[in-house]
Amino acid sequence: MFSGDDADILQRRRFTRRALILGGAKLGTLGLVASQLYRLQVLQGARYVPLAEENRLNIQVLAPRRGRILDRNGIVLAENEDSYRAVLVPALTRDVRATVALFARIVPLGIDQQTRIVARARRQSPNVPVVLAAKLAFEDIARINLFAPQLPGVRTEVDSRRRYRHGGTMAHVVGYVGSVERRALDDAPVLRLPGFRVGKSGVELGMDDSLRGRAGHVKQEVDALGRIVRQLEKHEPRRGADTMLTIDTTLQARVLDRMSQEKSAALVALDVTTGEVLVMASVPNFDNAIFTDPDVSRELRRLQTTQHNPMVNRAIRGAYPPGSTFKMVVALAALERGVVKPRERINCEGSYTLADHVYRCWNRNGHGASDLHKALRESCDVYFYELARRTGIKAIAAMARRLGLGQTFDCGIALQKAGVVPDPDWKRLRLGRAWLDGDTILTGVGQGYVLSTPLQLAVMTARIATGLAVEPRLVRAQGPAPSKAPVFAPVGLQTEWLDAVRRGMFGVVNETGGTGYRARIGDGPARLAGKTGTSQVSRQSTQRAAHELAWEQRDHALFVAFAPTSQPRYAIATVIEHGGSGGAVAAPLVREVMEELLAAEPESRSPPFAPDEPSRGANEARQG
Amino acid sequence: MTQMLGYQPPPTPGRKLAGVNWMVIALVALIAAFGVASLYSVARGSFSPFAERHALRAMLGIAVILGMAMVPLRFWLALAYPSYFVLLAALALVPLVGTEAMGAKRWLRFAGLSVQPSEFMKVALVLALARYYQWLDPARVSRPVWVLAPCLMIAAPVMLVLQQPDLGTAVLFAAVGVALMFIAGVNPLYFLGTAGVGAALAPLLWERLHAYQQQRIRVFLDPELDPLGSGYHVLQSKIALGSGGLTGKGFLKGTQGQLNFLPEKETDFIFTMLGEEWGYIGAAALICLYAMLIVMLLAMAMSCRSAFARQLNAGAALIVFVYASINISMVIGLVPVVGVPLPLVSYGGTAMTAIFAALGLAMCGYVNRNERLRRDDVRGFLGT
Repeated sequence: MFSGDDADILQRRRFTRRALILGGAKLGTLGLVASQLYRLQVLQGARYVPLAEENRLNIQVLAPRRGRILDRNGIVLAENEDSYRAVLVPALTRDVRATVALFARIVPLGIDQQTRIVARARRQSPNVPVVLAAKLAFEDIARINLFAPQLPGVRTEVDSRRRYRHGGTMAHVVGYVGSVERRALDDAPVLRLPGFRVGKSGVELGMDDSLRGRAGHVKQEVDALGRIVRQLEKHEPRRGADTMLTIDTTLQARVLDRMSQEKSAALVALDVTTGEVLVMASVPNFDNAIFTDPDVSRELRRLQTTQHNPMVNRAIRGAYPPGSTFKMVVALAALERGVVKPRERINCEGSYTLADHVYRCWNRNGHGASDLHKALRESCDVYFYELARRTGIKAIAAMARRLGLGQTFDCGIALQKAGVVPDPDWKRLRLGRAWLDGDTILTGVGQGYVLSTPLQLAVMTARIATGLAVEPRLVRAQGPAPSKAPVFAPVGLQTEWLDAVRRGMFGVVNETGGTGYRARIGDGPARLAGKTGTSQVSRQSTQRAAHELAWEQRDHALFVAFAPTSQPRYAIATVIEHGGSGGAVAAPLVREVMEELLAAEPESRSPPFAPDEPSRGANEARQG
Repeated sequence: MTQMLGYQPPPTPGRKLAGVNWMVIALVALIAAFGVASLYSVARGSFSPFAERHALRAMLGIAVILGMAMVPLRFWLALAYPSYFVLLAALALVPLVGTEAMGAKRWLRFAGLSVQPSEFMKVALVLALARYYQWLDPARVSRPVWVLAPCLMIAAPVMLVLQQPDLGTAVLFAAVGVALMFIAGVNPLYFLGTAGVGAALAPLLWERLHAYQQQRIRVFLDPELDPLGSGYHVLQSKIALGSGGLTGKGFLKGTQGQLNFLPEKETDFIFTMLGEEWGYIGAAALICLYAMLIVMLLAMAMSCRSAFARQLNAGAALIVFVYASINISMVIGLVPVVGVPLPLVSYGGTAMTAIFAALGLAMCGYVNRNERLRRDDVRGFLGT
C-alpha cells in the first residue's frame, strides 16, 4: 500500500521524466528552427542579398489631375497643361554622378546644371526624385526610354502645370495655386509629391477639395535599375471635378474696363433670383498667369509691395464703412421694433444733439420734416440718428446680420472678410470698452465701427429687393451635373416694411432730390432703385470739398442698387475707394453695369423668377 | 516522516522575495530589451510610438510577476476555475458583442478598454488544468473518464476561438493543453491514438476551416500559388532574413523592413526585422534566450512539491515555447502564417500582459515550491 508520500514521490518522478521528455522536445524544436534560420540566413544568405537589392517595394502616389475652372458660359479660366520631364530617384542608382553624366549625353545638360542636380540629390532624401530635365520633347522621351537599362533610377513622367486664361479679368475670382507650405506628417501623402499644387486663393482655394480630386497609388516592385518588376496593386487617382463659375467673363471684362479709371474699387453684381454672382470686379487687378512663371516669387513680392496691393480682391476682402447704404438696415430694424411708422415725420435742422454731443447731417441746412421715404431719398442723417437711438444697437446689429452683413458666405471663394457688425459684446471683447450711446448714433448712418464688404452689400440689397434670404454663390456647377436652382427662405420681414424701404430706394434714383438721380435709367419698366453712400475716412472731409483733400483722405463712394424695380432681377453693390460722393461717382458706374446686365439676353441667364411680394412692392413704389 | 508532515510557518514577504528566481526575471528583461530595440528600429529610430510603451509595459510586467509571486499559492488555486469560466463566457460573448478588427472578431470592449479574452484564456487554461491535476488522484490520471474531463476543458475554448476565427490561438490552446496532460502523466497511448484518429478526421476538419485559413495552408504548401498575396509576406520575410546574413545589415539599416516591405513588422513579423538588421547572430541569440527561459521554467517545475505549482511552471514554459517557436517558424516559412506574436518582443498590450500573468503564476509556484498542498485542500472536482 502506498502512503501519500510515496504516491507523491512517484508522481513527482513521473512528472520529472515527462518534463525532461517535453523539455528535450522543445529544445529540439527550437534547435530545428535555429538550424533552419541558419540555413536561410547564412548558407543561403548570399542568394537573398541580390533579391533584397532588386526587390524593392515602391509605393508611388499618383497625383490626381486638378479640375478645370470655367465661367458661366463655358469659357475656360483655369486648366492643366501637360509637359514631360525626366526625374531621377537617387536611391535607385549606385552612382548619381555617373547616371546624370550619362543622361546629359541623351538630353544635353551643362556641367554646372549637372553639378546642381547631383548636389540636390545628395541634399534630400534618396527616395524623393530630383528633376533632371523639364519640358521635354517627345523625341527626348523616346530616347530616354530607349536607354532606360543604362539609366538606373531615371524615369519620365508627366508634369502637369496650371494654366490660367483671361487672367487679367478673372484673377481675383479664380485665384491661383502654389506649392504646399506646411507639411504635417499626417497630411495626405500626395502633398509631399514634388510639384504638387494646392489652391492658395480665390475659387482655387475655396473649392480646393473638389478641384483636387483623390490621389491614387500604385504599389510595385522595382529592381535595382528602377525598372518595374511587377505591379502589385493600383488605385487610379480620381481627377478633380470641373468647376463652373457663375461669373460672366465677358461682362466682367467690360466692367473692369469701365472701372479702370479708378485707382481702387470693387463691384459685385448678382442675380437675386438665384444668388449667382455675375460680376465680381476689383481694381487694381493682376494676371494670375504670372503664377505659372518660375520667377513668380519676385513678381509676387513686387505686387504685394505696390501701393494699392492688386492681389487683394476688394469685393470680398475690402471692409468699408457702409455709410448711408446702411440706412436700410436701420430703417427695417426700426420698423420691425415698431419705434417708427413710415409716415411719421422727424424734423431735421441740420444737426442732432445727444448728451452734449452734436451730430451733423450732411446737409447743414437741414431737411426739415422728413418721413422715411424722404429721409432715404435725400439720405437725411438726423432722421437715422433718431431712428438708431429709438431702435437700439442690438436690434440694428441683429437686422444687419439677417441681411447678410458681418458674415462670410459659403459660396466657393476663400479668404472672405467678415467685416464688423458691432454691438456691446463685440466692443467689450475687441476694444475692452463699454458701448456708448454715441456709438449707436454713428452706427445709424453706417459709420463708427461697422464695416462691410461689397459682396455683403450686394447680398443685403438682394435680400431687401426680394424679401428672401438670398445666398450668394460663385459656383454654378461642379462636375457634369448642374446645381439645382436654390430656393431661398423668406428673410422674415413684413412686406409693408420692405415696401416702404424699397419705395425710398426708388426715390433715391428716380425722384428729384434723390441722391442717386444720376443712376436713373429713363422712365421705362426697367428702372432701378438704389441707395448712395459716402463713408467718411477723415474728419476733415466734412469741412472741405473733395478736390481740396489728398486722395487718401477723401470719402469712399458707395452705391447699392437693384433692378428692374417691377420685378427685381439684379443687385449691384460698388465701393470706390476715396472716390468722393457716392451719388456723383458710384451711382453712374452702377447704372452702366445695370444697363449692360439688362441689355444682355435674359435667356442666356437662368429663367427669371417672379415672387409676388417684391413686384407688388415695386408697383406701389412707382406710384409713390 | 512526521518532520515532513510537520507545521511549516508561512514565509514572510522578504523570504518570498529572496525565493524569486531572479535569473528568470533577468531573462525576461533581456528578451523585452530585444523587443524595445527592434521596435525602436521599426519606428525608424524613434522611441515613439512603439518602443517607449513597450519598455514601460515590460517594467510593469516584471512588477506584475513579482506581485503575483507574493500572493499565497492557495489564492490562485481558488481562482482557477472561476477565472476559467469567466473567460469562457467572455469568449462566447465575443461573436455577439465583440468588435471586429481585420476581418475577425476577437476584441471585447469593456469599460473603454479593448480586451482580447482569448489571450487571457491561455493563462486561465493552464491554471484550470493545474488545478485539475492538483485535485486528481495520480493513480486515476489515465482512466478514460478522467482523461475526457481535461479534453473537454481544452476543447471548449478551442471551439470558441475557431469561431472567431483565430486558427493560431486555437492551435496554441490545443498544444498547451495536450502537453500539460502529457506532463501530468496521462498514458502516451492516448496521444498516439488521438494522432491516428486526427489524421483520419483531417479532411473533415479541413471543411470546417475558414476559406482564408484554407488558403493560407494551401499557399504555405505551395507559395507560388499566390506570390503577391499571403505567400508574399513569407517571401518578403525570407528575403529580408536571408539578406541579413550572419552579422546583419546593422541596427536601423535593414532595407527591407525600413522600406515598408514587411507587413505587420511591429507585431507578427518583428523577428524578421530583427534578423535582417542583426543577422543570424542576433536572431540566434534571441532563440537562445527563449531556450534558457524555457529550461529555467522546467527546472523550476521539477523542484516544486505540489502538482499545482509544477503544472503552473510547465504551463508557462509551454506558452513561451509555443508562441516563440510558432512565430519564428512562421516568419521563416516553416509553418503557415497564423498570426501568433513573438512573446515579450512583439508590440501589443494584451498578449504581453498574458505572458506576464503566466510567468507570475509560475513564479508564485516556484516561490512556494516547498508548500505541500494536499489533495483535500480542494474538496471536489469543481472546488468548494
